Amino acid sequence: MRLLRRAVDSLSIPLIAIVLGLAASGVFVIIAGAQPIDTYQRLFCEGFGPNPCATFGDLLFTQVETESGVLQTVFSPTYGAGGSRIALVLEQATPLILTALSAAVAFQAGMFSIGMDGQFLMGAITVAFLGYWLPDQIYLLAGVTDPETAPQALLTIMHLIIPAICIAAAMLAGAIYSWIPGYIKIKLNVNELISTIIFNAIAVQLVGWLINFPLRSDLNNIARTRRIDDTAWLVPFNRGIFQDVEWFSGARLGVGFLIALVAALLVWYYLKRTTAGYEQRMTRGSSLFARFGGIPTGRAALRAMIISGALSGLAGAIAILGVERRVIDGFQASGTGFDGVLVAILSKESIIGILLFAPFFAGLNLGATNLQFGNLPRQLGGIIISFIVLFSAMEDFIRARLISLWKRRTLLQRTAPVDKPDGNAV
Amino acid sequence: MTNALEMRHIRKYFPSSGVLACDDVNLAVQKGEVHAIVGENGAGKTTLMSILYGLVTPDEGEILVNGTPVRIGHPHDAIQQGIGMVHQHFKLVPSFTIAENIMLGLEPNRVGFIDGATEAENVRQLAESFGLPVDPNARVKDISVGIQQRVEILKILQRNAQILILDEPTAVLTPQEVSELLTVVRSLAQAGRTILFITHKLAEVKAVADNVSIMRRGKSVGTYATHGVSIRETANLMVGRVVTLQVEKTAAKPGAVVLSADHLLVAGTGGIPAVFGASLEVRSGEILGIAGVSGNGQTELVEALVGLRPVDQGTITFLGQDITHNTVRERRGAGVAHIPEDRMIMGLNLKTNLDENVVVTSYQHEPYSKRGFLQLEPIRQLARDIVEKFSVRSARVGEEIRTLSGGNLQKIVLGRELKGDPKLIIANQPTRGLDVGSIEFVHKTLIEERDKGAAVLLVSVELDEILALSDRIAVMFAGKIVAVLDVKDVTEEKLGLLMAGSSLEHAESAAEKAHL
Amino acid sequence: MIALVDKYQRQLRLLVILFGLALLLLVMFGLPINVLQSSIRLATPYVLGAMAAIVASRAGVLNLAIDGMMLLGAFIAVAVLYKTGLDPLVGALLATVAGGVLGLVFAVLYLRIRINLVILALAVNLFIVNATVFFMRTQYGAFGTLADPSIRGLPTIELPFINQLPYLGSLLSGYNAVVYLSWILAAVVWVVLFRTQFGRHLRAVGENKEAAESVGINITRVQIFALTFSGMLAGLAGAFLSIGVLSQFVENMTGGRGWIAITVSLFALEQPIPAFFTALFFGLSEALSFYLQSRPEIQLPPDLLLAIPQIATIAALMIVALRVRAGVLLKRRNFAAQFGKELDKLRQGQFVGGD
Repeated sequence: MRLLRRAVDSLSIPLIAIVLGLAASGVFVIIAGAQPIDTYQRLFCEGFGPNPCATFGDLLFTQVETESGVLQTVFSPTYGAGGSRIALVLEQATPLILTALSAAVAFQAGMFSIGMDGQFLMGAITVAFLGYWLPDQIYLLAGVTDPETAPQALLTIMHLIIPAICIAAAMLAGAIYSWIPGYIKIKLNVNELISTIIFNAIAVQLVGWLINFPLRSDLNNIARTRRIDDTAWLVPFNRGIFQDVEWFSGARLGVGFLIALVAALLVWYYLKRTTAGYEQRMTRGSSLFARFGGIPTGRAALRAMIISGALSGLAGAIAILGVERRVIDGFQASGTGFDGVLVAILSKESIIGILLFAPFFAGLNLGATNLQFGNLPRQLGGIIISFIVLFSAMEDFIRARLISLWKRRTLLQRTAPVDKPDGNAV
Repeated sequence: MTNALEMRHIRKYFPSSGVLACDDVNLAVQKGEVHAIVGENGAGKTTLMSILYGLVTPDEGEILVNGTPVRIGHPHDAIQQGIGMVHQHFKLVPSFTIAENIMLGLEPNRVGFIDGATEAENVRQLAESFGLPVDPNARVKDISVGIQQRVEILKILQRNAQILILDEPTAVLTPQEVSELLTVVRSLAQAGRTILFITHKLAEVKAVADNVSIMRRGKSVGTYATHGVSIRETANLMVGRVVTLQVEKTAAKPGAVVLSADHLLVAGTGGIPAVFGASLEVRSGEILGIAGVSGNGQTELVEALVGLRPVDQGTITFLGQDITHNTVRERRGAGVAHIPEDRMIMGLNLKTNLDENVVVTSYQHEPYSKRGFLQLEPIRQLARDIVEKFSVRSARVGEEIRTLSGGNLQKIVLGRELKGDPKLIIANQPTRGLDVGSIEFVHKTLIEERDKGAAVLLVSVELDEILALSDRIAVMFAGKIVAVLDVKDVTEEKLGLLMAGSSLEHAESAAEKAHL
Repeated sequence: MIALVDKYQRQLRLLVILFGLALLLLVMFGLPINVLQSSIRLATPYVLGAMAAIVASRAGVLNLAIDGMMLLGAFIAVAVLYKTGLDPLVGALLATVAGGVLGLVFAVLYLRIRINLVILALAVNLFIVNATVFFMRTQYGAFGTLADPSIRGLPTIELPFINQLPYLGSLLSGYNAVVYLSWILAAVVWVVLFRTQFGRHLRAVGENKEAAESVGINITRVQIFALTFSGMLAGLAGAFLSIGVLSQFVENMTGGRGWIAITVSLFALEQPIPAFFTALFFGLSEALSFYLQSRPEIQLPPDLLLAIPQIATIAALMIVALRVRAGVLLKRRNFAAQFGKELDKLRQGQFVGGD
């Protein structure tokens, strides 16, 4: 019961913010010459809806024609003919969950690091390289000239260890890239917000250079790295175990999603159940209290930065190993890290909130991207998101307004007949 | 002749803290008079002055300036009525020059451009005309506290204040600066300004004031001509013959020295020593009380002892070990408990629940954690134990503590700090803002701990508390321990004199005279 | 080490100045003149952005939305000129106004509605990035880049007499109006901050709110003014980016320059004149990265060269931090030395007296 009330309480403000955000963005839809309701209907259908989807109602239940030609009402999220869009949303949400967790860990130590983009890129480029380089070395050592002819046993072993090594390396890369701004914050008090933004920009340039020069695979118009070896690939469900389930057929949703869920659970456990998590949360809550209790606050904050970086690196690894399989020019601007920051802010760093809002963001972006084949650019998604974040940050203001509105009403009811001459306005 | 200022039947109640700060207070001050207002901490002096300056709105009462009733709802109104105030914490801009600070808001300008030369000249003239020489072009961050105060006085004189409120003006000054200030105050009065001088240092009252109003527990006790009343009488009136707190306790059985501090030097804010050569010893099984007016370095001393503030010189020895540069955690591990001055910010984390608050000093040890993992059940048990043993009402395991009352919060702090039988308990103002029942509880607990053999260092600005609990009393003044006395040899007035900066000999002779 | 630094402070400062001078001479005579010219030109958004940061932070609010304000200015300048045939100066003017309006909105949201400053800044920056592209597509049908022959860039103005000077003539003349304006504005910001009543009130608010309040200064009003002014400066900086260089608007064309501008102001300890020269240094680093890219015989990767300003920014952040840290350490040392000695004296005196 208490849990329910808490859930309602913590969800109500984001929900109000979402409604207000959509309303405010409606102005932009109108300016662009479109119908807001229609547009949002299409936006959500394209983002979350089943294959034939025209109205908000279709998001929940939709009528489909069965093979025998009979119309049948089905529950949309589980309806998977032609591949469910929900699977696609979850695919897109996977790195977002991880970067949001990364942001949450940093925030919960009082570090306002928004370096997730840079750490994500460092993780991604690390696995994009190791994903083909490591297998190459192994083939070389084993004397295999053509991977096709490699012994099955070798491939199986490689398929077990190479992704693990890649992921570990990506996490290390992300952790180091987060440790630097953390260290100069703790030791020198360099503003971590500004330094992480600059670090993000440096990562973009660095990755741009790497894929254009040393790691460039071919003379394709758009610079890209070599595709990772099959043994490094985290095979998506639609190519692997759930080959026959149509629901998965349209998305590269895979084991990465499960890793993200496990990471969410571990982060929750770390924050709430370990001494290290306890230390960093106390440091954030009141650093004076933490110091008073003898907690090494600097160490706790730095540890949080390292974990945060590792999570973003993991996000980058999964984006490459499970979905993209190579880094293509333009990947640098994906903004997955920054979206993760926004998810963390909107969900107030709660793990459950992150698991809810990351798919919401992913679906919104997906819908907006598909919308641009119509007449509205995908930036509508960004506009909606920025308004939602803005309104959710007005929490205190909205709450105060609601309370004063409610008070005024009850006050009016109570004191209606009394007309004070000196008019002490409430 | 009408009074320059009159305050009638002032009443102010603070519902949030439940304190009746001013209860039907009356005050009448004549033009050209230096009028001292004295009282202990919490007697209501500061509230009364805040009302006069428009920072606090009274519940009842009226203010008359030159015989006319006025409404003062904001400092603007006060300035308009010719009332100026020098606050205890100066309101100056450090990087600005003296002239810029004095003229802030009144800059001589031509279409917005400041005429710097005229400004400096104006300030120079102003300073000269009141005999308060300053260098108009010196920056405030480079000048001494005494000069800063002078700048504050000039600032309100520039605004043409006829009534000057000086709120504990000597608290931050060196003895030489104090005597300079007193001269200035006299000369201002001679020039026709009216001065309200808030203090609890009675020697200064005697030296500077024409009349003195005494406040005690929110009430005005009376106004006396300074030459007609002795320091001793004033002290008696100030403290009153109120029933002192009765705490039952047996004689102390002091054991070995637990903590000793030797000539500590600790920086305060702004590069001034807050603790300057303080030395003390606390033995097991005794309570050493540190008496002193707040702001004489007690807080910094405590912070240095527990490891929250670096020590620049001197040594701290705990059970024979030099711990001068040890961390908080090392000291806590060795057996130091700390009941901090500010329980809301330092003592507790109000953003989290009871369990996480009670375990902050012990979470790294078994059974509360094993190999880096918190063990919830032992932690809950700890919380339950504390709630039961200290009967913390309405606190529940696993719930937020934000809504608890001050007394219950302090019980949580006590429960946590006294867990595991500490060898030394440092308690800084442990009863501040608590109700009577909670105060009693805290006192009883501290004495129990003493009887169990702990060394207790109690810092308090409440004389009653110090007298009721301590076995020995150390008086702190200007960053030093000026005297250490056995509680049997102490009277309130002697203590009051020492706290006001008198030397021990002087205080003793004054006290003897009183007994003769 | 610290004692040495303390002792030879003046000599050290002289050394730093000499080093700077040597570097300057090396740059002036070692590099082609057009690199220097483009450094000065490219420094403009940093100069204006740093001034925007200084005005806001001197009033006690970190303006973390400078990047967004710049981007808005860049877009407005181009949007105003698109197929209207208006003078580019009108574009720059309206960009300034737009930046000011955004600054005002930012101030109201922060000071009145009390949104967390960092979240507000993130949201505003995100909004501008998306809204500019949104309008670029819906209103102008452009993808990625908005360019049109009707969008004329700011014309180059040769300063009479000055352009006749040997060497300096080509350094000080031959830029567009916004470049000259940025120089003037740096001076104006200095004058406003340090010579006018408003500037003094602004600094008082930023440094000690209570002091300002106690003499009747309306803090909120001063801060709203400051943020509006800050937004105007940032908007003008944006106009330079779009119509001062290539006469086009490109998606997210500020490329983090707003954040670098904040660092410039931090590095210059919020002093307008040092900030101006720091900005020139960042202009140089940007010009150098372009210059080196144009020289294929120098085998350096262009993307890494593009990161030069960013790496310089991190270095600048760390230098400032080190300086502050050293200052604090020095202060404590001096404190311990001074009062420690006094205490020792006192102690000996007491000891003798007690004997």
